[in-house]
Amino acid sequence: MTESVTTKNVEQSPEEVDLGIVLELGSIGAGHAATSLSEIFQEPISIEVPKIHTMPPHMVPSHYKKHDVPTTAVYMQLRGEAECDILLMFEVEEAKKIAAMMNMVESPDDVDPDMEASAIDELGNIVIGSFLTALSDFTGANLVPNPPERATDSFDAILDSFLIKQMLSSDMAMLFDTQFKRADGNISGILMMFPSRDLQRTLTEKAKSWVS
Amino acid sequence: MWTRLCNLLFTVNPLNTSLAKLPQNSYGAKPSLASSFATSKVVQNSEKSFQEVRVDMADMKVETKPVVLITNVGSCVAICIHDSVNKSGGLAHIMLPDSKITKNDVLVSKYADTAVPALAEALRKSGRSSFGLSAKIAGGANMFSNLKANSLNIGEKNVEAVKEALENNGIKLLAEDVRGTCGRRVAFNIVTGKVHVRCGNKEVTEI
Repeated sequence: MTESVTTKNVEQSPEEVDLGIVLELGSIGAGHAATSLSEIFQEPISIEVPKIHTMPPHMVPSHYKKHDVPTTAVYMQLRGEAECDILLMFEVEEAKKIAAMMNMVESPDDVDPDMEASAIDELGNIVIGSFLTALSDFTGANLVPNPPERATDSFDAILDSFLIKQMLSSDMAMLFDTQFKRADGNISGILMMFPSRDLQRTLTEKAKSWVS
Repeated sequence: MWTRLCNLLFTVNPLNTSLAKLPQNSYGAKPSLASSFATSKVVQNSEKSFQEVRVDMADMKVETKPVVLITNVGSCVAICIHDSVNKSGGLAHIMLPDSKITKNDVLVSKYADTAVPALAEALRKSGRSSFGLSAKIAGGANMFSNLKANSLNIGEKNVEAVKEALENNGIKLLAEDVRGTCGRRVAFNIVTGKVHVRCGNKEVTEI
């Protein structure tokens, strides 16, 4: 494995896309999402400094090293003038805890699977919706979300379809991620965004028009 | 919390096999998943202990030592080729059906059409004779229907391409666990040639 992996959280533009712009956009979206989450849970939710990763798609799983970790993911696809895949991922235990909080029950064991599923869907809607708002405001593009889809599986298995999709259009995957944390310090979730080539281009053009 | 649970499970019962029989609900902490949380561990077996070796995405490994090769696949396909004569085997984790999709890519283990001959060649080199190559495959799922509708059915294409490549290279396909909507954890014992697959959060099955 000699291929280069670059992880940036400051602007350091590669050939085409200004990563700083994507990062800025992501941060706005993540900020909105954290605010909505704080309201739901009635407790402060903090976000980590978001990161943009560009690396060959197949290197992504070894970057996270969560191969076998049972994960619940909500996936929402944005379509329209630009396309973007957004994934919200929680470890299964974490998803149960969140569902218990949203359903106002004491213990995660008291949540039945249906209630948990709808709670996680709802959470996905809220978080991803915040992202969508930021994205539309910023680009002025008309974006339509598909209904959220949920899956519970190992971390790697959930990720691979998205990586394949990125691979079809580019040698490098661009993904944005941030982690939500509750006050007690438990890591609650990872949010990933895979902008399509079109969206990456739209964002760059937008950024240029701001500068000039 | 999660780590504590794992520790608990390990101390209560370190045996993989018996844990899998514990009752579980569909989203619950799955004991068999929990026990596989640790990155490197030894699988307890009635006869022998095998070291687990992980094969990364778009990677392949050929082993002659007694190990269990493991990987996780969704739309990707795990190709397990077993050499029954030399008791060796190799696993390739392919992502795309055809190496012509991208130009100038040197990673043969990423594509179905190049991974199969590379795997077979590596096995032939490692062994004294080249007889007895057979294959088992798993993967090619479509976990999200929106993705499937939008970007072709890549899981299906991967499966077809792998089968074609096996046929072109004269390797017999013994068993498969493919398609569907769940990700799979594949564990390939290169000594016995047995492949254990866990589809999503269901029980482990042998193919």
